[in-house]
Amino acid sequence: MTSIILLSIFGIINLFVGFMKSKRILLPLSLLFLAVVFGANLFSWNEAQSYFNHMLTIDNYAVAFTGIMVLATLLLLPFSQHYIEEANENLAEFYSLLLFSLVGAIMMVSYENMLMLFIGIEILSIAMYVLAGSDKRRLRSNEAALKYFLMGAFFTGVLLFGIVLIYGATGSFYLTDIAATAAVNDGTVNAMFTLGLLLLVIGISFKISAAPFHFWAPDVYEGTPTLFTSYMSTVVKIAGVAAFYKLMAAAFAASYAAWFPTLIAITVLTLVVGNIGAVVQTNFKRMLAYSSVSHAGYLLMALVAFNERSDASILFYSLSYALATIVAFAVLQYVSEQRNGDETYAAFNGLGKTNPLLAFAMTVAMCSLSGIPLTAGFFGKLFVFTAVVQDARLMWLVVVAVLMAAVGIYYYFKVVIAMYMQPAADAAKIRIGSFASFMLIFITVFTILLGIAPALVSDLL
Amino acid sequence: MEPAVNQQYVPSDYLPILIQFLAALGFVVTTLIVTHLIGPKRKSAVKDAPWESGIESVGDARTPISYKYFMTAILFVLFDVEVIFMYPWAVNFRSFGLDGFLQMVLFMGLLLAGFFYVLKKGILKWD
Repeated sequence: MTSIILLSIFGIINLFVGFMKSKRILLPLSLLFLAVVFGANLFSWNEAQSYFNHMLTIDNYAVAFTGIMVLATLLLLPFSQHYIEEANENLAEFYSLLLFSLVGAIMMVSYENMLMLFIGIEILSIAMYVLAGSDKRRLRSNEAALKYFLMGAFFTGVLLFGIVLIYGATGSFYLTDIAATAAVNDGTVNAMFTLGLLLLVIGISFKISAAPFHFWAPDVYEGTPTLFTSYMSTVVKIAGVAAFYKLMAAAFAASYAAWFPTLIAITVLTLVVGNIGAVVQTNFKRMLAYSSVSHAGYLLMALVAFNERSDASILFYSLSYALATIVAFAVLQYVSEQRNGDETYAAFNGLGKTNPLLAFAMTVAMCSLSGIPLTAGFFGKLFVFTAVVQDARLMWLVVVAVLMAAVGIYYYFKVVIAMYMQPAADAAKIRIGSFASFMLIFITVFTILLGIAPALVSDLL
Repeated sequence: MEPAVNQQYVPSDYLPILIQFLAALGFVVTTLIVTHLIGPKRKSAVKDAPWESGIESVGDARTPISYKYFMTAILFVLFDVEVIFMYPWAVNFRSFGLDGFLQMVLFMGLLLAGFFYVLKKGILKWD
């Protein structure tokens, strides 16, 4: 709760600081704000408390996911330096919108009431619609904002319709009441309940870009300015999956049989479409969009497993995925700026010679995303797969996922090959600020550290 | 908290809604038909022309309009809608007590911060 209040106030303060002549203070100030929120959030650890007639509950689950999302925002903000250098007049608004959307993300991991879930998703999404179109003079950015907004509004309607049908069937918006009504009625109260449940699943699947509701992702990710794509594919996705798990665990545990077939179909489809789709891309940013679809699939696997290991493995996977994705987008941003907006694999040619640091950070990130040992991504996948094989009947799902992870290695290593094996097209060294270099090193070390000592995070929940 | 909802509704409970719906529809249909039947009919070129408060219509309706107009219009709607929250609050002012007052002060404070931001941003400057 403190983090929600603090973020709202800090966001407003940020807006007004933006009226000052120099924009240089904005980045350190926003980082300070996020650090304060990160610290304040930790005070709620083991001190579960409910607010607003039990509509929000800040428990360890909420604190852990809030921590990861605030940390992800904290780690990706330093890569907004080029906005400061070009003295973008809307810089304060960008930072404020990120802080405000983080409020929505926190509500999505701490809700106890469907209304809070809906409001959280809206607060998160509306800021993202604006940020997707924040590069006003570029056509692709406009296209991204319009597509994201229209599709997002439509699927919000689907989600809301689901909530309404559930309310009609159970007479409550509270997760505990819904669970109680479902429990005394074999998990399926009536047809209205089942229909509402499926609409809810569809609505949230859209938000985490799970197939077959992923069609917006490649276009939107490609058009959105890279900094905000990075936020979109980390924080928005983590919030969505965490909200999804919480919804299923707290309200629909008894209805397992009703949503399990749908969810397992969505999971397999997401894994296959995401990975196969990524293989054929020539644009690195579009590849990352499909890769984020495929990672939604791995995260959904933990949800399909639905046992006591699910939440911890979602948490660890989210963190490892966020760290690697932030690095991938940050390096892409530097490279494409140097190469006049070129975002293809070819833009990375020879990066290993000109910028060893960028190339190394990227290599570690790609290893982590594909799940190579000694990186956080390996244990992320390991924990998810272990959670799934608890149920021996789901062995085939792990086989599919491992096959798809093997496909993943192919397209993730395309860029590594381009960086180290191809001759440099443009031998100029890419200039990066010392703070951004420090952050790259920090995230890379963190990724490797989690790959050696995963218990740092995996035992939290 | 047990869901305290009457689950015993039968279809006939919805009859008043159906009657209301039919009455509304019937009124519209009847008025349309009756006025069509009993009203006088005079047709001329002048009567069929688009009527614009007596001023002759000029040009096309689809002309570019300055974005300032949209900005002002959206801000008007925004602040206008916020006022709606004031009415129920004012009616229940006594029963809300000090808490309700402070909540409204907070709400108006946030709203004013937004208004101040809009002014500083120069959205309402027309030149």
